[in-house]
Amino acid sequence: MQTLHVDVDTWMHRISPRLKLGMLAVLGIILFLIDSVALLALAVAIGALLYFRTGLPAGEALKRLRPILLSIAVVTLFGLIFNPIHVAIVTTLRLVALVLFAATVTATTSIAAFMDEITALAAPLERLGLLKAADIGLAVGLVVRFVPEILDRYRAIREAHEARGIKIRIATTLAPLIILTLRDADNIAAAIDARGIRRH
Amino acid sequence: MTTRDLVLSALFAAIIVALGLLPPIPIGIIAVPITAQSLGVMLAGVVLGAKRGAIAVLIVVVLVSIGLPVLSGGRGGLSVFAGPTAGFFIGWTFAAYITGYLSERLVKAEQTGIAQGIGFFIASVIGGVVVLYAFGIGWLALVANIDFGKAFFGSMAFVPGDLAKAVVAALVGRAVMAGYPLLPQRT
Repeated sequence: MQTLHVDVDTWMHRISPRLKLGMLAVLGIILFLIDSVALLALAVAIGALLYFRTGLPAGEALKRLRPILLSIAVVTLFGLIFNPIHVAIVTTLRLVALVLFAATVTATTSIAAFMDEITALAAPLERLGLLKAADIGLAVGLVVRFVPEILDRYRAIREAHEARGIKIRIATTLAPLIILTLRDADNIAAAIDARGIRRH
Repeated sequence: MTTRDLVLSALFAAIIVALGLLPPIPIGIIAVPITAQSLGVMLAGVVLGAKRGAIAVLIVVVLVSIGLPVLSGGRGGLSVFAGPTAGFFIGWTFAAYITGYLSERLVKAEQTGIAQGIGFFIASVIGGVVVLYAFGIGWLALVANIDFGKAFFGSMAFVPGDLAKAVVAALVGRAVMAGYPLLPQRT
């Protein structure tokens, strides 16, 4: 599975992931406290500058944000109808700036670094006995491993439907897909326990 | 949490991701193709129950956070949490939990198929529509500065599609319950 991490080496890639996530959180709060159009426009400019310097080709960089920018555009239209124009502009700039900063952190932080941070975040929960931090990595690995298999299975079910001349309906394809997939759970769990991956 | 429960949740998370990669499938009665991922959230609750269903969705949330493009249309990364519709995404976990909680209580193995289907439908509507929209609309109103009532009416356009998804979730939930029951084994 491809990732949204851009595998190049810029100064932004070298900042510690924890610092980046912390700064993003602080920025998120600050952006919601600012009401000045000029300051927010500056934030958008800085966000865009950083985002387009992450090593992504400009076209690809824009393509990644297209769906989210589209939803912001819809909200802006809504805002322009119901709110004073100043409020609509502030809201739009704020959201665009936040999206750009968030996308920059995603592009410059590797999956492994993110996983380390999530495991560190989960450590206090582990001490409370709520979960095992190592399980998160295991679960992520399982998903990445099984998505292609599920897609193959879906294709097989579709072909079986077509061969029998049955119309492909979501209700009749999903039930066998779910049953076939979840039936493997016992075997996979047995294999995980046999290897002692989740030691108690 | 047993290894089996963890694996079940992870496999369901993989199904939700796969649903985002499939081409939109037209839903029976309505000809409008509908992206199936939010259907996957209802299904997580209906098939796995409250706890395992919510964990399945949480795994998807983790995947998105760490920068995997697992949402429909190749969306992913932290920017998903920053957009105006982030409330719907954040509400997914709670939607799956409530759908699962209600499914566990409303649906029993000894009921007739129709009663099970109705139980699953009610659980899906309350969890996957009422709870989910509470999060989505609340966030939209807060972050996008749109008046709550207007955000509410704006979002109502999507309710018919989600009700159709609840019907599909009920049908699939019943079929899975008949073929490979997981819901009654509470943990």
